[in-house]
Amino acid sequence: MVQLRPRASRAPVSAEAMVDEGQPASEEEAEHGLLLGQPSSGAAAEPLEEDEEGDEESDEAPEELTFASAQAEAREEERRVRETVRRDKTLLKEKRKRREELFIEQKKRKLLPDTILEKLTTASQTNIKKSPGKVKEVNLQKKNEDCEKGNDSKKVKVQKVQSVSQNKSYLAVRLKDQDLRDARQQAAQAFIHNSLYGPGTNRTTVNKFLSLANKRLPVKRAAVQFLNNAWGIQKKQNAKRFKRRWMVRKMKTKK
Amino acid sequence: MGEFKVHRVRFFNYVPSAIRCVAYNNQSNRLAVSRTDGTVEIYNLSANYFQEKFFPGHESRATEALCWAEGQRLFSAGLNGEIIEYDLQALNIKYAMDAFGGPIWSMAASPSGSQLLVGCEDGSVKLFQITPDKIQFERNFDRQKSRILSLSWRPSGTHIAAGSIDYISVFDVKSGSTVHKMIVDRQYMGVSKRKCIVWGVAFLSDGTVISVDSAGKVQFWDSATGTLVKSHLIANADVQSIAVANQEDSFVVGTAEGTVFHFQLVPVTSNSGEKQWVRTKPFQHHTHDVRTVAHSPTSLISGGTDTHLVIRPLMEKVEVKNYDAALRKITFPHRRLISCSRKRQLLLFQFAHHLELWRLGSTVATGKNGDTLPLSKNADHLLYLKTKGPENIICSCISPCGSWIAYSTASRFFLYRLNYEHDNLSLKRVSKMPAFLRSALQILFSEDSTKLFVASNQGALHIFQLSGGSFKHLHAFQPQSGTVEAMCLLAVSADGNWLAASGTSAGVHVYNVKQLKLHCTVPAYNFPVTAMAVAPNTNNLVIAYSDQQVFEYSIPDKHYTDWSRTVQKHGFHHLWLQRDTPITHISFHPKRPMHILLHDAYMFCIIDKSLPLPNDKTLFYNPFPPTNESDVVQRRTAHAFKISKIYKPLLFMDLLDERTLVAVERPLDDIIAQLPPPIKKKKFGT
Repeated sequence: MVQLRPRASRAPVSAEAMVDEGQPASEEEAEHGLLLGQPSSGAAAEPLEEDEEGDEESDEAPEELTFASAQAEAREEERRVRETVRRDKTLLKEKRKRREELFIEQKKRKLLPDTILEKLTTASQTNIKKSPGKVKEVNLQKKNEDCEKGNDSKKVKVQKVQSVSQNKSYLAVRLKDQDLRDARQQAAQAFIHNSLYGPGTNRTTVNKFLSLANKRLPVKRAAVQFLNNAWGIQKKQNAKRFKRRWMVRKMKTKK
Repeated sequence: MGEFKVHRVRFFNYVPSAIRCVAYNNQSNRLAVSRTDGTVEIYNLSANYFQEKFFPGHESRATEALCWAEGQRLFSAGLNGEIIEYDLQALNIKYAMDAFGGPIWSMAASPSGSQLLVGCEDGSVKLFQITPDKIQFERNFDRQKSRILSLSWRPSGTHIAAGSIDYISVFDVKSGSTVHKMIVDRQYMGVSKRKCIVWGVAFLSDGTVISVDSAGKVQFWDSATGTLVKSHLIANADVQSIAVANQEDSFVVGTAEGTVFHFQLVPVTSNSGEKQWVRTKPFQHHTHDVRTVAHSPTSLISGGTDTHLVIRPLMEKVEVKNYDAALRKITFPHRRLISCSRKRQLLLFQFAHHLELWRLGSTVATGKNGDTLPLSKNADHLLYLKTKGPENIICSCISPCGSWIAYSTASRFFLYRLNYEHDNLSLKRVSKMPAFLRSALQILFSEDSTKLFVASNQGALHIFQLSGGSFKHLHAFQPQSGTVEAMCLLAVSADGNWLAASGTSAGVHVYNVKQLKLHCTVPAYNFPVTAMAVAPNTNNLVIAYSDQQVFEYSIPDKHYTDWSRTVQKHGFHHLWLQRDTPITHISFHPKRPMHILLHDAYMFCIIDKSLPLPNDKTLFYNPFPPTNESDVVQRRTAHAFKISKIYKPLLFMDLLDERTLVAVERPLDDIIAQLPPPIKKKKFGT
């Protein structure tokens, strides 16, 4: 209940020492006392305060502070603190509310007008009604709902619908789905390529493969594609150009 | 026969795309083949292995799995995550349904044919129900950790084996849960860093699961206990495909080295009842990876990256040991990819995504028989026309005068006008196409280049009038009755009066173009038409069928000609009937009405109708006529079929004018030189 603390003795030395050491303790105790609202601690806190003020001003007589006034003061402070905290909280709440409303507004602006959305959802629902056994469409509906929640407001948001009701001239697709699908297809193709032609498979060029027979003939022959036509392409092109220019120059000087 | 100058053309850089999947349909004896560019071709194995129909490819539609379901329905699935059903009558795609599992790696139809199982990239196995007009998602099985690369149903329909990376799972169909998970060794009795990819699984009815993987092993597992029974190491490279026969006494596997192995169930000793699987025959018909195999009741079918389709009949299953039991290798296309403009000596080459226009070179030199004359002017590459969009080109044609080019993809039709002024070529597109003209199966110009005939996808035959720079729709012949058996072929007479169209089971229809009505129908034959042409003056329609029969039908008289009847009564020479490849083009000599010029991939022939027909005992392939042989001998051995095998493999052969021929060859080495790298083979001494 009340924590035992050394009572202020009448001896001045011990009182000073106690005051120096006890200042932080006294503040704590003052708070404790105030919060617990127990008169004993409040009463106990009094002489310390009195001692503090008395020490600082040294000659003057300590002020007479009643417990009630000190308590009232403390309570006021506490109330003030609480009020500021509450005000801050409400301010923050309001700010957040306003920001969310702004986001919703922006989202709404980017969405299609409600009429078309209604049409789409009713269309998918009628499809579901028509074929109750189609688990897949229900999954799709759920998927759409999930995607709706987690959609980024930046991307163009259109739902993917299996079949649009009246006019079948268009099909709405989500761009994110398409990128995902392409990425998966690329990954699958890379897997096949790696497993068949990647590292670890011992593959050889067609030229070497077909020339293997030539190597084992009694009269050894050259490889099937002996010439490498891709060698020195730049050099050959330069030579061609030079030859053309030289011919033109020759014709000119001849004339 | 006369003397001809022959333009030998080898600058057609035709490279077919690799075969990815093969699916055999037992009921109709048809083979569906899908290639890496998305084309799906249907071969009729009983019609002399002729390619009847094909669905043009699409850049994003690379198929990974192909299967037949009940009622002759063909499904394919690919890396774009969609299951596609093909309409074999309308020759287009019925619908594409997204499976929502990412890229699809494998697909299998249930033994009853009413359910479809799909293995996806995210490790899920999805079951679809096949309804009369569509497929419907039923449920998901237990999801696995890695992608499902191969699937197989147990013949009773109760269990499924799914091969993935480093393991095989056995599912129970009713509950959808995994019964066993069998871990595959990465290397045969060893450790390896590379993951073991199970490329194929097959489930037998006694519960054995056969798996082939990338370490070169064929392993037998017992699905009841989930344990390995036997392991065979058959190759140093991946074993990529497996197919089991219907009777389950033999299966075939294909490896990445190009070898195809045949495994058979043989009794252990000659009179014991116990049987075991033994590797019996290796076949080396491919140079590159064999990515797919199929097992028909009598033959083994394999196809892979080297673009050949090899059909090897098994000798023990074939009843009659005649030419039908020989190996078949289908390399060259069964339809014409080249059209020719005779007046301007232009050739139009059709590739998958572009067209090339070349002008032939010329020479002023002369020489004797068999000389090679030097070119005074080289062949000119005039035009490189690229299509817009991801679809492949179905057909193309250039008009005989050389001023119009038309081609079609699966969704659009394009018509261009060419202008030649002083060695300059300018191209202009005719922009407004009518809405009903979507995709064409065959395009043909009339001889005077004023009319354009288009056989469209829906079965209708359209006639357009071309004049100046514009074109106008004249008439449309509506589709006739009869099921679509093969791709439509068109032939028009030189005077522009008659138009012949084949493709339906009702026979070849001949239309009168001037009066715009159906004139007559050539009686139906049970083999598809491979080539057709109308002779210039006599208006006889010459038709070549896939069983190597050639008929001549007189259009004005509406009956077969006498020569044709004589030939049918006499019969063709057995060497003529034993040719592998179909006749793809027929043409005529303008001044010699008794000559018919036709060619297939390995020979070209001039049929002289005035000479006697050969019987089975005469020498069929006449040698090059030596001048020092006496006239009597020559007259005795001469017969109607003059065959030359000098230029092969031939893709196209035509008569440009009275003294010139053009032969477009495509040597096999040039195709092989452009294929992806094969597996290294180590040979002693190299």
